[in-house]
Amino acid sequence: MLSVSNLTKTYQEGDREVQAVRDVNFGGEPGEFIAIVGPSGSGKTTTLAMLGGLLTPTNGSINLNGREITELSPRELTEYRRLSVGYVFQANNLLPFLTVRENLLVMSWIGARKDEGKPRADQLIEELGLSHRADALATQLSGGERQRVAIGRALMNDPEIVLVDEPTANLDSVRGRQVVEMLVRETKDRNKLTIMVTHDLDMAALADHIYEMHDGVLTPSHASAA
Amino acid sequence: MVGLLEIRRRKLQFALIAAVFALVSYLVLMITGLGIGLNELAGSALLNFDADRLAYADTAGKSVIRSEMSQETVDRVSTAPGVEDAAPLAYVAANYVMPDGEIGSAAMLGYDPGTIAEPDVTEGRQLTPDDTNGILADRRFLSESGLDIGDTVTFQLRLETVEMEIVGEIDEGAFFFQPAIYVLRPTLLDLKYGNLPADARPVASVVLIQGTPESDAGEGYEVLDKQTAFNNIEGVQGQSATVTSLQVFGYLVGAMVIGVFFYVLTLQKIGQIGMLKAIGASSGFILLQLLIQVLAIAAIGLVISIGLALLTERAIKGGGEIVPISFTTNAFIVAGVLLLATSALAAFFSGRQVLRTDPIIALGQQL
Repeated sequence: MLSVSNLTKTYQEGDREVQAVRDVNFGGEPGEFIAIVGPSGSGKTTTLAMLGGLLTPTNGSINLNGREITELSPRELTEYRRLSVGYVFQANNLLPFLTVRENLLVMSWIGARKDEGKPRADQLIEELGLSHRADALATQLSGGERQRVAIGRALMNDPEIVLVDEPTANLDSVRGRQVVEMLVRETKDRNKLTIMVTHDLDMAALADHIYEMHDGVLTPSHASAA
Repeated sequence: MVGLLEIRRRKLQFALIAAVFALVSYLVLMITGLGIGLNELAGSALLNFDADRLAYADTAGKSVIRSEMSQETVDRVSTAPGVEDAAPLAYVAANYVMPDGEIGSAAMLGYDPGTIAEPDVTEGRQLTPDDTNGILADRRFLSESGLDIGDTVTFQLRLETVEMEIVGEIDEGAFFFQPAIYVLRPTLLDLKYGNLPADARPVASVVLIQGTPESDAGEGYEVLDKQTAFNNIEGVQGQSATVTSLQVFGYLVGAMVIGVFFYVLTLQKIGQIGMLKAIGASSGFILLQLLIQVLAIAAIGLVISIGLALLTERAIKGGGEIVPISFTTNAFIVAGVLLLATSALAAFFSGRQVLRTDPIIALGQQL
């Protein structure tokens, strides 16, 4: 269902051209959990942002369920992000002045799956083990709880693809592992395609497929064969 | 909903923002109120005439002070086609002795009871045709002089001293920067022209007109509408220009401060707006939230500032010293609409600028 081919992103930095992502090819099916591992600056987040409709590729194709994402207009991209993508960002995921429930409901406020907002939010809150924190403000949450809320919001719109950027960056290894395990579980239970970007090989080991990224080049990892 | 929820959850922060808005708006309103007050002092009594137009003697250069009309001219004005109702009014500047011996000034107006020139009495009673020594005194006159209804005032006119009794209080304002007092027209004519034989005396300064005369001039007279007549009061034009400049600068500076304020406020939200955009919120949704938020703050600030302005007006008018200050509904509406519109514009333009930022950059993502 996801097919990425020849994906390339080139930045102009002064009079120098920087190839952040070079000719990336890969694919994925619903229910698969894919990890992209690489050092910072390798082009992981850039790849994820292009998949999520936040960056326009310089070249190449992203085909999701028969739709060519690279050809969408800005308005269609906004709708794509609203209805088809669940994105967990590195930081600034939550609105600090909203409660856990409201942070999930933001999705229906902006027009994604409007009618089923409340029950869906409550169900996700329960699944993510946040029922006792549902009415707590985002600022009162721990790092791990915040990350779980962000995952919950990413699932609110019942997306076709879930994109997760460094979900464990600010967590200790125990909590980080819990969060990734939860992502794996949601991926399987809800039959979603999840792509996670991380620099942590231990976390990546929980994925079905692992890719490595170096200087913009994506290659299947040997670890995934093991 | 996001915009209003943020206000509810960050009450202190938004209370401070509303307070800043209220203070700027208060400043603008005070400048406006003082300007209106000063203008009213110049001739609110004229603006309060129950008339649409004023007829002057055509030799007077459109000055109430210099205008003197004969009975024939008054009759011609009153019967001119298009005039629905008319009444002669005479004016003279009068000095009086205050209880503490100081000399005060008043604008004495002579009228005929029962005509459109008759002022409304707020306390005491109207003059009857027999009250040749009675006066109706403006609120301001009473508070300036310390006199009250029933007291006797000593006027000094043409080297003579005349004792008159205050029988009623009126709220007509001022004329030529002096508080208005009304007396019977024959009384005023006696005081003003006492040495002239009866057939040589003018009978009025101006004629108040209701209706629309077909011609704005006739034999011996010319007609001005009330607002133009007001602007023609000696000194009003220069003063109006100053007052208007003050108001315009007040609005301009106030609008700019508030505009920049909301602009900075919106720019600070770049991370939040970037996140909303990244999860698929439309620009319309985000702009609407910003607009709702800014307008809510502005409306609260505006209400506070109007309250403050009215309280200040009361405090000033209640105090002994009389500073001319006055607020009209119109002034509130103009200031309110202007400040709200500026706020909305600032929110809109800063919002649009923030929306142009790439959400991935706005989010602060490490690429």
